[in-house]
Amino acid sequence: MEVEVKAEAKEDARSTVRAIDRDGLERLLGLLREEGYRTIGPTVRDGAIVYDEIESVRDLPAGWKDEQAPGRYRLVRRPDDALFGHVVGPISWKAFLFRPRETLTAAARGEGGALEFRRAPFEPERAAFIGVRSCDLAAIAVQDTVFTGGPYVEPRYAALRRAAFIVAVNCLESGALCFCASMGTGPRARRGFDLALTEIEGRFTVEAGSDAGRRLLERLGAEEARAEDAARVEEGTARCAASMAKRMDPAGLPELLLGNLDHPRWDEVAARCLACANCTMVCPTCFCSTVEETSDLTGSSAGRVRVWGSCFTEEHGKVHGGSYRPEIKDRYRQWLTHKLASWVPQFGTSGCVGCGRCIAWCPVGIDITEEVAAIRASPGPVPDVQGLPLAPVPSPLPAPRAPAASSVEEDLVPRPAAVTAAVRETPDTVTLHVRPPQGFSFRPGQFNMLSLPGVGEVPISISGWDGTAVEHTIRAVGPVTRQLAALRPGQELGMRGPYGSSWPVDEAKGCPAWVVAGGLGLAPLRPLVRELIGRPEDFPEVRLIGGSRTPGDILFVREILGWIGRRNLQTHLTVDRAGPDWRGSIGVVTQLLDDASIEGVYFVCGPEIMMRFAVRRILEAGVPPQRVYVSMERNMKCAAGFCGCCQYGPLFVCKDGPVFRYDSVAYLFERSGF
Amino acid sequence: MTASPTSSSVPASDSEAPVRKPRLGVFKFASCDGCQLSLLDLEDELLAVAGAIDIAYFPEARTAMLPGPYDLSLVEGSISSPEQLEQVQEVRRQSRFLVTIGACATAGGIQALRNWADSAEYLRAVYARPEYIRTLETSTPIAAHVRVDFELRGCPISKEQLLEVITAFAVGRRPNVKDESVCLECKRRGTVCVVVARGMPCLGPVTHAGCGALCPAYDRGCYGCFGPRERANTGSLAGRFREGGAGEPELVRLFRGFTGYAEAFRKESEAHEPQ
Ligand code: SF4
Ligand code: SF4
Ligand code: SF4
Ligand code: FES
Repeated sequence: MEVEVKAEAKEDARSTVRAIDRDGLERLLGLLREEGYRTIGPTVRDGAIVYDEIESVRDLPAGWKDEQAPGRYRLVRRPDDALFGHVVGPISWKAFLFRPRETLTAAARGEGGALEFRRAPFEPERAAFIGVRSCDLAAIAVQDTVFTGGPYVEPRYAALRRAAFIVAVNCLESGALCFCASMGTGPRARRGFDLALTEIEGRFTVEAGSDAGRRLLERLGAEEARAEDAARVEEGTARCAASMAKRMDPAGLPELLLGNLDHPRWDEVAARCLACANCTMVCPTCFCSTVEETSDLTGSSAGRVRVWGSCFTEEHGKVHGGSYRPEIKDRYRQWLTHKLASWVPQFGTSGCVGCGRCIAWCPVGIDITEEVAAIRASPGPVPDVQGLPLAPVPSPLPAPRAPAASSVEEDLVPRPAAVTAAVRETPDTVTLHVRPPQGFSFRPGQFNMLSLPGVGEVPISISGWDGTAVEHTIRAVGPVTRQLAALRPGQELGMRGPYGSSWPVDEAKGCPAWVVAGGLGLAPLRPLVRELIGRPEDFPEVRLIGGSRTPGDILFVREILGWIGRRNLQTHLTVDRAGPDWRGSIGVVTQLLDDASIEGVYFVCGPEIMMRFAVRRILEAGVPPQRVYVSMERNMKCAAGFCGCCQYGPLFVCKDGPVFRYDSVAYLFERSGF
Repeated sequence: MTASPTSSSVPASDSEAPVRKPRLGVFKFASCDGCQLSLLDLEDELLAVAGAIDIAYFPEARTAMLPGPYDLSLVEGSISSPEQLEQVQEVRRQSRFLVTIGACATAGGIQALRNWADSAEYLRAVYARPEYIRTLETSTPIAAHVRVDFELRGCPISKEQLLEVITAFAVGRRPNVKDESVCLECKRRGTVCVVVARGMPCLGPVTHAGCGALCPAYDRGCYGCFGPRERANTGSLAGRFREGGAGEPELVRLFRGFTGYAEAFRKESEAHEPQ
């Protein structure tokens, strides 16, 4: 966790304030370049102030100001020739830390089909960021938490971040769309910088915020700032804060927004929103990404490239064919509730730092502060039931994750692993036994990421361990699963894992354990059943309830038949339709839950619609929601908490799930659009 | 019509099958040939393409034409004559995986402008002996007539994307051609938005990505030549341009370009026609 260590060192810096003029600033840039930093700062391009490489003070936007309004940005001349007399533009510093395109891995298929995966070569460039505003310092801190806060550390972000030198600039004039003051992130830069400048009448006060900054100031050999200069920094930034016209009240936003998921305002904003994703692209904290598979025509050399993604795309919420957020309304609601509500339990801060970029760069000028204000002004229709709170607040919100003590650098590089057996379960489903590339242990309910170079990578739940190989039960529904399911013993695939939470087996000790599976949902439950029936002294009463479309679709038939006669297991199978030979039940699994035991612990996995009905029936029987566990499925690109695609309200299915205790997902479970 | 292949239509390479190169057919209906020439444009990669697939039918490139069936068919052009109506059915029958390429094949093309006019009148105006011309009243996309497995948009298509579609087919992956707005590509490359910073009309927010946000990088608004993306909220965007001073005739022209006959754009332009 070097990144955080560095941030702390910055905080307890002795205050050293110097004063320089423009020549001094030029010398400062020169020293940074001498030390091997590429200097990046604000400069005028294409009618806007963007961040790009600057070679000298001459490249800075002297005398320019950015006039901003919702959906509108224009450069105008200032009466003076201030270098930093503007606020923030369409580019944020994330473009240099969490870069828009990054090659993750390279893979090659050698003679005989042997696979080789390599982490793509990566040279962290040393960059000095010149002119980082206070809101953007806060945004960098937010992304530090996302990418380095654990349980995994994203190595590319971490390396670029460690190599960066940050020169902040205090704001003395706010822009029309700035609201950092109400978000508590500015305009005075207080931490997280190496040096901070304040531009007053053509001169700059410079304070150091880190040892690296202090060393540079020493080399610069500038004069001490006078006491009144330091005072003017405080006065100027305070005046700027007081003049900020735009504001957003951050109080209670998680409860307000997550408690108003059916507010009519979502429909109203969805009629205007283009789902173009500009807001998420310009937002300095948005971190979602997707992956592109690349290869040559023969597939013998391949790569995986991470690119910026967005919850406004259909793909973000897509799992084999269907989308969990089909409507623009679902996507806008994901954006707003993530930024301002879900972010808090996820990362311990708001996802909005009040920079105003999303307001200016929305082509139709949708204003995040107005959307929040509209919901705050008329929180939901009052439910027509006495005693209900005005807005049904999801309670309790999941607590912020504890700081990760044992974060690991997740390099996302799969390892080649050989198939030892491929067992056909049903016409479209195969169990692949894969010998893990190294020592491997997993808990029932976890999943692996399996990949084929140039084709793709998918999460596959672990359906067992045969003594030497991990079992994965795969239904051929898309290009990747189809090719995985066609692998033969001896062939190789890429594997990384295991990931995610597991079925809390021991919660069921001494209680009736009910395992409820629909279709392929039996796969992640099989290792659980094996463990439960293998420990009859702990689990005297296990009931397996399985539903499938037809008898031919039932998974693991041989193994299930072998379980007959086990003292502690009762098995009930049901199918949607069957021929005359079928001796089990016909109909949905819920009918087998009529005698659900109130003392039972329930483990449920299957299609979401099946789980909804099953859980409803279990709760109707009086089972407390804390004794029910479900396993969720969402789009997964990274499995490490970085890509954002697997979000389910405030939860990440990859690292908080896939297994959830029902009460933590209850308020989302019955809705669509998440 | 979605741009991504349905999962069932992407072929899997069966590792045990004897190695036979997939056979490619290239077909053309009403169009300018620009798109299929992108294939020949792939100078550096053409040898590799020819090594990996067997170009069995490609009138532009070879004289010997081998009969079908074809594993992969690239179809250019729209349907605008009675003969084409029948030919396209035959192409479909002979093709395992059919990819339409370009604005003509995916949206009817610029010639679909006649769909809003009286085509007999056009013929009289253009041809000396209109009775020799056999044409349909409309120019329509291939998908209006047969099942299409994948659409590659653009006018013309990008050769990089064509290579990606062929490679993805050969390797068996879903092509990296995203059904998302052009804005994502524009922002990823760091272009400044021309709507916000210059007040220009730009169809990027409602247009299918794929061009790499070319026009905005050259300081002009997107023409929508890749056609509408999923959930194209054209009404909201048109409203914004109207506030910016665009009149109804301009809005009609804006949405009625190379892909004007694609449903979302067609409806939007029709909404701004004089009643
Ligand atoms: S949500 Fe908008 S105002 Fe808040 S940090 Fe992101 S871009 Fe800035
Ligand atoms: S899910 Fe959250 S982080 Fe990702 S793009 Fe949407 S708002 Fe941004
Ligand atoms: S809020 Fe604005 S910028 Fe964001 S997706 Fe909607 S229209 Fe685009
Ligand atoms: S955040 Fe990437 S899969 Fe969960």
